[in-house]
Amino acid sequence: MMAEKKQKKNIIDLFIEGCRKGWDTGIRNMMPNVLMAFILIKALNVTGLLKFLGVVFAPVMALWGLPGEAVTVLVSALMSMGGAIGAAAGLLSAGTMTAKDVTVVMPAIYLMGSLVQYLGRCLGTAEVNSKYYAVMVGIAVLNALLAMWVMKIIVAMV
Amino acid sequence: MDENKPVPQTEEEDEVRWYSYVALLFAIVFFSGVLATSKEWYSVFDFTVLNGTFGKIAAANGKALTFRGAGGNGCQDGFAFALSLLPAVIFALGVVNVVEGLGGLKAAQKLLSPLLRPLLGIPGACGLGMITSYQSTDAGAGMIKSMYESGIINDDEKTIFAMYQFSGDGTITNFFSSGAALFSILVTPIIVPFAVIMVFKFVGANLIRMYIKFLQKKNGTKEAA
Repeated sequence: MMAEKKQKKNIIDLFIEGCRKGWDTGIRNMMPNVLMAFILIKALNVTGLLKFLGVVFAPVMALWGLPGEAVTVLVSALMSMGGAIGAAAGLLSAGTMTAKDVTVVMPAIYLMGSLVQYLGRCLGTAEVNSKYYAVMVGIAVLNALLAMWVMKIIVAMV
Repeated sequence: MDENKPVPQTEEEDEVRWYSYVALLFAIVFFSGVLATSKEWYSVFDFTVLNGTFGKIAAANGKALTFRGAGGNGCQDGFAFALSLLPAVIFALGVVNVVEGLGGLKAAQKLLSPLLRPLLGIPGACGLGMITSYQSTDAGAGMIKSMYESGIINDDEKTIFAMYQFSGDGTITNFFSSGAALFSILVTPIIVPFAVIMVFKFVGANLIRMYIKFLQKKNGTKEAA
């Protein structure tokens, strides 16, 4: 494939430019989100709240074969996808979630991700009739929950 | 995590070229992981193979650790962890930028457009807005608004299209930036969770489509365009 004269930028330029975007996103978005999530999980750990959440949500999360603590990933997803990724990484490194668990929640993080922001940035901008807002949030969350089952089945086959 | 790329506005002058399809196919193979376990030379066309691994440091107990070490926690461990994720994020967005620059997303748009009416009940013209929303939430939503204002889609179609974008918005940008952080620990190929997201976006849009139909039946109204 590749370099044709019409292309203003060649592949190397494009790649380097993309890497630079990656550095910016990594440093400016990913890292602060990961730090916040690790600090939050540490705080939950120190106060004993994480254990508490784990116990309370264990029956619910068991529906997807996940530990109760995984609920923190889903709740943070509503605020920010990056935060949820950080939370998942934090629980993974604390040994609370396994690599399989993280794989199962991965699509859910995005399907119900950043909904709080996107109410404004997507539905607000598109001027969707606000009578649909509640249903649409519900559908996005449902999407996420169903996707976790699909992932659970796929992961079981791997 | 938030994509804040400027709008890749409207139809670009040039049409989709042959290498755009090659770029799209390449991206699918590259992130699919199908070649990851191959021992042949063509494993070079795999993201995880080229992403590689960090060197190991011998620990006192005879174990080998990466620079992140073991047993850390809190902010400092988060920092070391985030550092260890950076290469994947940089690399993934580099590749995505190449594919985008070669017109790979435009090729996807061309392939998708004829499917939109049967799959979502919205006009094929929404293809551009759909592809745009994979890259930028704000730009995608802006295009819904302008398409509605110029009469290309009616109110119901607007709602369906917005639902499609709303769940898992900014898909490519978000998945390959924040998501790249976890690529190395996924127990499935990278493309699997991505494909699941893509499929459920269609599921969600069809749920609201059914809901709208249900409301219309209930009210006995026939909403015209």
